[in-house]
Amino acid sequence: MNNGLAGTTLRINLSTGEIHRFPTDEELFRRWHGGRGVIAKILYDEVPRNADPLGPENIFIVNVGIMSGCYIPAGSKTEFGSISPLTNGHGDSNMGGHFGPMLKFAGYDMIIFSGVSPKPIFLYVDNDAVELRDASQYWGFGSLDCEEQLKKDLGEDFEIVTIGPAGENGVLFSCITHDFGRQAGRTGQGAVMGSKKLKAIAVRGNRSIRVHDLESLEKQVTGIIQRTKEHPNMEPWQKYGTSFFIRWSNDNAVLPAYNFQTTYYEDVGKIDGDQLIEQCLITHKACFGCWMNCGKYTKAVIEGKPVVHLEGPEYETGATCGSNLGMKDINHVAYINWMLDNLGMDSMSGGGVTAFAMECFEKKFITKEDLEGFTLKWGSVDDVEHFLDMVAHKRGIGEWFAGGSKRAAEKIGQGSEKFAMQVKGQEMSGYDGRWAPGMLLSYMTADIGAHHNRSWTITVDMAEGRESVEGRAKIVVYLQHIRPLFDTWCICRLFWGELDISPEEIVESLNHITGWEVTVDESLRTSEMIWNLTRCHYLERNRENGRLFDYPPSRSWEDKIPSGPGKGKGVTLEQVEKMLDEYYEARGWDKNGNPTREVLTDLGLDFAGDNLEKIGLLGKPTPGGIPPVRGEKYKPKAF
Amino acid sequence: MVIFLKAGSELRDRLKPDIDFYTRRIETEQGKTIKEILADIGINPGLVAFIYTSGKVKGLHYIPSNGQTITLQPPVSGG
Repeated sequence: MNNGLAGTTLRINLSTGEIHRFPTDEELFRRWHGGRGVIAKILYDEVPRNADPLGPENIFIVNVGIMSGCYIPAGSKTEFGSISPLTNGHGDSNMGGHFGPMLKFAGYDMIIFSGVSPKPIFLYVDNDAVELRDASQYWGFGSLDCEEQLKKDLGEDFEIVTIGPAGENGVLFSCITHDFGRQAGRTGQGAVMGSKKLKAIAVRGNRSIRVHDLESLEKQVTGIIQRTKEHPNMEPWQKYGTSFFIRWSNDNAVLPAYNFQTTYYEDVGKIDGDQLIEQCLITHKACFGCWMNCGKYTKAVIEGKPVVHLEGPEYETGATCGSNLGMKDINHVAYINWMLDNLGMDSMSGGGVTAFAMECFEKKFITKEDLEGFTLKWGSVDDVEHFLDMVAHKRGIGEWFAGGSKRAAEKIGQGSEKFAMQVKGQEMSGYDGRWAPGMLLSYMTADIGAHHNRSWTITVDMAEGRESVEGRAKIVVYLQHIRPLFDTWCICRLFWGELDISPEEIVESLNHITGWEVTVDESLRTSEMIWNLTRCHYLERNRENGRLFDYPPSRSWEDKIPSGPGKGKGVTLEQVEKMLDEYYEARGWDKNGNPTREVLTDLGLDFAGDNLEKIGLLGKPTPGGIPPVRGEKYKPKAF
Repeated sequence: MVIFLKAGSELRDRLKPDIDFYTRRIETEQGKTIKEILADIGINPGLVAFIYTSGKVKGLHYIPSNGQTITLQPPVSGG
């Protein structure tokens, strides 16, 4: 029936230029719920296990899911996926804005790119017209500059995603940019686009989406609109966005400063939300179908530099490119944000890699000579500007850092691996987990490398006791099921997390759209299925027991927090091991971190179990069996 | 004096509203900070990122006036 779907999937072979249209496989979307789930299944089925992530055998998928574009709250997300060049495993990343809904209005639910184009191209989509067009004149443009030029050349009503020079040059943490400030940042999806010489996708469409029960959907959404407008969190969000939480993170000893050396930043007052609003804010921005306007369109004004315009900095960029780099001026943080956006690099990894490099410079592991005569001092926006340019263009030592902090540490040696703050090759987000053990476990076990979006537990850690690791594992498992569902549904998580729209209401919307009779339990189970599939895929590609990849860098347990409210605090290696043991038990995996036959059979993934068995990585049977339900929702206790 | 605290999300469960879906009436002493008031009513102040009143963000050391409505804002769960 294709309710909720546009109806067509495009398969494009960039090597030959062939464009094929297929009816969207509704059964595939039903089983895997769209978005991240469908991406996971296709990558698992179609990419050879030894495929180079930057080679022709990797495939790059754009998926809009079911709910994006269907006028439900924040139904705006586009999900991108491929084998991540950063982690060598399943990679997915999403962004808001307007691109996904527009792609659906043009008639397409998914685009699957294979091969490598012989020359730079961009994909042009205008309803039925789908063409690969020459992008030679845009190659080398910054992401933001390219979007601006394409809008001039094609029309302002096109929605466009672009990559910058970093993606063109294969920087492994390159991102995809849209709407002058939205990014699909994580896992290096921009590098995969660049490896295929795909500079941009421009789309325009004006068709309708059929839904199963429009009247019920309309009634439900009208009620949600009214409720959320009256919600206590709405007005602060609309005015201030996420940047205001930097001070809270600092006060509660989770804000990373100076490459996660400490968690208290004395100059936080120079880069916090107050400064952003007072000095930088121009106006508020919203994604398709959202009235929260959490985006902040701003400017950065620095003497001697051109005034630049950007969206942000959000909390994550404010932390990873602010306190983490020792910046003392909000304009400098905003400028770095703009640089990363236009060069086309993820701001979390960009900040993490730069911070790592700064510490290497501080320790004299790299020198002015390595940096073309520049220094790389904490708090220097000029030094950062030069360094990021070296990285984006892989110039000199910039090439080492273009692979992320893990690979750079492997080149630099001298014990620098200790403070390359990453897991599985992807840099940590803007929270230090040493006094928030659930958050540390969340980083350790995220399928795509360190990322807060899969699981965020800091308030749980604070409520349950920050020195204890007790009970964290089951909560992390539950969060790793519920939170990625939003990437599967292709809607924004903030309406659930901040405005109390329940998963039951979201599933009700899904059923009004599709006519399916999905339950929340089924959705959570689907999410668990996806999680296990991406784990199996990771093991098959990396050919080692999973546990080996689930450790954070040793700073996490060797260095106690040296200053501020968290002074002296930190986890021990024994606690790290204990959390992993409990996590694997909660997942129904063995002590090596490998999924067992029992859990894979329970989830309908026997085919993946067979593949693990062939390479000797199937998890050993669990004495006493696997938990009947994996993961446990957190129930707050009285204070 | 009397103030009104409002909260949504997980903070609302801890606040136990009694005026409407989001709001609880609190009797407290003049001169107390929000942080102190939260501790008095059994809410861990660490779970409140900032407060919002009269269209402005304030920290937890803010001292409310009689009759004032204060919105408690939890930390964003990642973003």
